[in-house]
Amino acid sequence: MSVAAYGRLRSKKRRNMAMNILTFVVVVIFAMLAFFPIWWIFRTSLMSNAEIYQYPPSLIPQNWLFSNYTKTLEVFKFWKYLWNTMIIIVPSCLAGTFTATLCGYAFARLRFRGKRLIWTLCIGSMLLPAMVTLIPLYIGWTRGLGLNDSYLPLILPFFCGGGAFNIFLIRQFIMSIPRELDQAGTIDGAGYFRILFSIIMPAIRPAMIVVALFIFIGLWNDLLQQMIYINSSDKFTIALGLTNFRGQLKSDWSLTMAATCLSFAPGVIFYLIGQRYFVEGITLTGLKN
Amino acid sequence: MEVINKPQKRRSRIYSSEARVAYICLIPAFLGLFFLTYLPLAGVVGISLTNWTGLKSPQFVGLDNYVKLFTTDPYIKDSIIATIYFAVLSVIGSMIYSLFIAMLLNRKIPARGFFRAIFYVPYVLPAVAIYVGWSWLYEGNFGFFNYVLSELGLNKILFIADSSYVVPSLSLISIWLAGNLIVIFLAGLQNVPGVYHEAAEMDGANGWKRFCHITLPCMTPIIFYNLLLSLIANLQVVTPALALTNGGPGNSTRFLTYLMYDQAFVNYKLGYASATTVIIFAILAVFTVVLFKTSNFWIYNEGGDDK
Repeated sequence: MSVAAYGRLRSKKRRNMAMNILTFVVVVIFAMLAFFPIWWIFRTSLMSNAEIYQYPPSLIPQNWLFSNYTKTLEVFKFWKYLWNTMIIIVPSCLAGTFTATLCGYAFARLRFRGKRLIWTLCIGSMLLPAMVTLIPLYIGWTRGLGLNDSYLPLILPFFCGGGAFNIFLIRQFIMSIPRELDQAGTIDGAGYFRILFSIIMPAIRPAMIVVALFIFIGLWNDLLQQMIYINSSDKFTIALGLTNFRGQLKSDWSLTMAATCLSFAPGVIFYLIGQRYFVEGITLTGLKN
Repeated sequence: MEVINKPQKRRSRIYSSEARVAYICLIPAFLGLFFLTYLPLAGVVGISLTNWTGLKSPQFVGLDNYVKLFTTDPYIKDSIIATIYFAVLSVIGSMIYSLFIAMLLNRKIPARGFFRAIFYVPYVLPAVAIYVGWSWLYEGNFGFFNYVLSELGLNKILFIADSSYVVPSLSLISIWLAGNLIVIFLAGLQNVPGVYHEAAEMDGANGWKRFCHITLPCMTPIIFYNLLLSLIANLQVVTPALALTNGGPGNSTRFLTYLMYDQAFVNYKLGYASATTVIIFAILAVFTVVLFKTSNFWIYNEGGDDK
């Protein structure tokens, strides 16, 4: 290598190094900006009302008033709301994931009459926004089946395939698994269900977890449907409880922020546990299209 | 993609048992597609042609609801404007923000997983809590943003209580929530072949040129996917209006879905609300179709590479 070329290489390396440091600084600044709202909400939840209105506001509370949380819990029935939310989420996640897997398997591996048509209908429904069917479904559940003030209208749809998007996701994932695996099963005399349960399902576990996570997030973020179907306050979910709580205590910001932080907590914990799958799954959806 | 187009085989007994299994597996999908998707879709169009209020039995009124919506409804115009305004701001903002952050995170930096988690975490928090939390940051007197404004010597702004600021303020939250887009972009960036960049660097292309001529073209399928995802989600915006603003101040956040909610579940005009639903659906469909139609012009297809 000539001296000049070596020099060029070194200057390039140095430039790269400088770029990386610059990038890191920018990332840190943006990460601080992105995290800031959460911190601000959290620090407010630990402050007295006097401290909140201080000028200039401080970034860190003087005394960490965890008593705010005890006070909040007297009105904001967090544990009850969390329990109610879980009553909706857990069966929905399990049923949605299971039925999506069944359907995805049929579309990915099995041959049957009308497959194309059904698949087209399925994909077509992916482009159908959820709010379009809201009113007829509401009428169907409440008038037709008499399910007033019930969780069932929120849960039962997940027993029906868990949404076209999730079926699509599972199908794509199954198709990426070599067929030889199935064939090995067939040779051993395993039936279709046996192959699904003991060969396919273990292989697509990441995809199934992802589907469960998506169902979780969807229900977690939903307010509209819960508002429509649930009326009595002892059936409130976290979303409904928080909306209601804010209406009651409009001016007490520290307690409202404490309630907000409590509502954040399960999501954060869930995310920390399933982080790997979250990232993997979202990646999966973006690239398999 | 290879499975659907299998050549038709002679149907043997094995084949029919295979089909039976398939139909059993698909029972949930049949139920879902029929009862939860296509029947309600037909239903909403049907109900929109009636004057149903939920009390009396519905009467057929033809296109009356649509005529009323477009001639006498006091809200629909503001509502359409608010929805599109919000969606356009949020979609453009979150696309730029998430692509920018993804490009930063795509470089070799320490603790990348940690930073990715920071940017992603807003997405897993319950939406209602996010809006309630941000409403404190936006508060008119003591909110954080007003503190910054007063430090800069500017007048205070009633972010969510001022009809000219509320939509951009809510859009900012929606941009902040775009963590999922960042992760998808990041995955896409990692798929851009490194050789292209090396070759371009040899030819003396600078960073900006490489971004415009390599990164962007290679990313167009992912950009399209994210654009579609974000557009559909943002055009259906309703949670901030339900949790925070109740459509106000004025009609500035009376988003279409909120309008529909108000008509159907507060005023019990089910027929009228169904007509609104059909209009929302039409608007969404127009946006989606336009996006798909134009996609041929700007999506770069890497020699039929199956992505």
